[in-house]
Amino acid sequence: MSTQVSIDKDLTKVRPVAQKKDQPRAGRISKAVAYVFLAALCVIWAIPIIFGISTSFRSQTEVVSSGFRLLPENWTFESYKAILENTSTAPIMQWLWNSVFIATLHTLLVVVVISITGYGYSRMTFKGRDTLFFTLLGISFFPGVVNLIPSYKIIDALGWVNTSLAMIIPGLAGMGNIFLVRQFMNSIPKDLDESARVDGASDFRIYLSVILPLVKPVLIVCALFSFTGSWNDFLWPVIVYTDVTKMPVTAGLLLLQDIYGNYRMIGQLMGSAILAIIPTLLLFLFAQKYFVQSINLNSGIKG
Amino acid sequence: MTKKFKLAPVFFVGPHLILFIVFILLPTIYGIYASFTKWNLIGDPVWVGLDNYKTILFDSGSTFHKQFTNGLENTFIFVLLSVPLLIVIPLMIAVALEHKGVKGKSFIQSVIYIPGLISISAAALIWALIFNKQLGVTGNVFHSETVWAANQPYAWIIIIVLTIWGGVGGNMIIYRASLSGVAKDLYESAEMDGAGAVRRFFSITLPSIRFPLIYTFVMTTAGAFNVFGQPLMMTKGGPQESTTVLMMSIRKLAFGTGESIAGMASAMAVLLGLVILVISALQYYVMNRNAN
Repeated sequence: MSTQVSIDKDLTKVRPVAQKKDQPRAGRISKAVAYVFLAALCVIWAIPIIFGISTSFRSQTEVVSSGFRLLPENWTFESYKAILENTSTAPIMQWLWNSVFIATLHTLLVVVVISITGYGYSRMTFKGRDTLFFTLLGISFFPGVVNLIPSYKIIDALGWVNTSLAMIIPGLAGMGNIFLVRQFMNSIPKDLDESARVDGASDFRIYLSVILPLVKPVLIVCALFSFTGSWNDFLWPVIVYTDVTKMPVTAGLLLLQDIYGNYRMIGQLMGSAILAIIPTLLLFLFAQKYFVQSINLNSGIKG
Repeated sequence: MTKKFKLAPVFFVGPHLILFIVFILLPTIYGIYASFTKWNLIGDPVWVGLDNYKTILFDSGSTFHKQFTNGLENTFIFVLLSVPLLIVIPLMIAVALEHKGVKGKSFIQSVIYIPGLISISAAALIWALIFNKQLGVTGNVFHSETVWAANQPYAWIIIIVLTIWGGVGGNMIIYRASLSGVAKDLYESAEMDGAGAVRRFFSITLPSIRFPLIYTFVMTTAGAFNVFGQPLMMTKGGPQESTTVLMMSIRKLAFGTGESIAGMASAMAVLLGLVILVISALQYYVMNRNAN
């Protein structure tokens, strides 16, 4: 083995001499292409957000009279004042609070449910465990559009229409996060539980003090995506909320198109959109590394 | 082997199992059952056999047939326009970010990723202003005289732009993570052999990230078939219903004003579900076979 490796190395050292001259230039060109492409994308991707923010600080007369500008001529808070004063047709602060409440409670419950259930399917032994798990997983692949209408009927039967429970509870039934947690737990050596069990620890004790600390990374990732997913959900809240004071902000913004209609109150419209963005944006800034680390799918599925 | 029934697993697996049955299994079965009934969402469903499906698929005089075919056609247009871009653009970004000389990678990555964290309704409000004739960028900077949301092909363009803007970040992260796992010495030895950048991309990069590619392709496509928010917010389905996608029709039938036609809507939902299932399976099969 070792000789083979050294031969390979030698070969690679010898071969490229002829092309060496061209390489740096090709490298420089491809680097320039990469830079131009990425810079262009960054500008296009950032402009709408900057434009939205700056428009929310312009007066309506300025927007109409001087057309498109990236930054305001005169900064004004009048849009935000108007937004906060409208507590009847567009109670944006109420909507934001509803969203914060829903997303936070949903996320906490997700973490509890997926870690406990993941433990059951990974660390416990009972008859038909894997059959049950993969049956549920298989069923959950069935497209969600089919259960949309009956889900509404169930929420209605439970008396949850126009309540936060309609958005907090149904999402807990999903299998995706449990699959990830189970994968992660399967990679933890069994010896850890065994030695704890020998010391007389119960399953709940092992879950709480041995396994839970070890799966924290994957739980954090699941929590962040559950929060942003819940915050940004659109179709479901549009269906289950008719009460203006109970709905989350995403469903509320749909109403704004009519309330601040035809862009007669652009500042308010943009200000509301920006307020709705801020919470997930803050979350991203504080937990950036978890958002962008990604679960490596190449190894994830084989494990 | 002990025959004793162990109680502990019930506490760990049981609560989720109940949630799963109530919020996934039951509604799915009921959704399929309802598609064979006449149902107004309030009373009991009345069994009508295959009537709903016959009407939707074959009765060309019926409005339901028109809504379904128009909705499905527009959904397919959306899928065909958005999915290739949602795969290719993130892949190009990830490859560009792999370039050794590029600085500020994490900043660039953040800028491109952030729109994905913005809700469709907030993003749509901003983009609608950008495409506004009097006040936005298209009118003032490019002097376009058209009302984009009310004319084709512009209506599709603004829907796709919004989708791409918010949608590339997720796949980009997946491709970046996968690309960083590709062994560097593969590239080096290929470079030594005189393989150009394009050649290296097709013969090393793509095969190495085969699984993430299949995964993102299948998931992105399935997601695109459920499109709803972008056309609702940007064009309200217009002009002349040309961007009314199937999810919008289903919602309107089941939850719109007037009496609910939930049985018919359920049949449309089942048909859309079948389309998604069949296409996901086909994609997986074809891509897996070609890779081997």
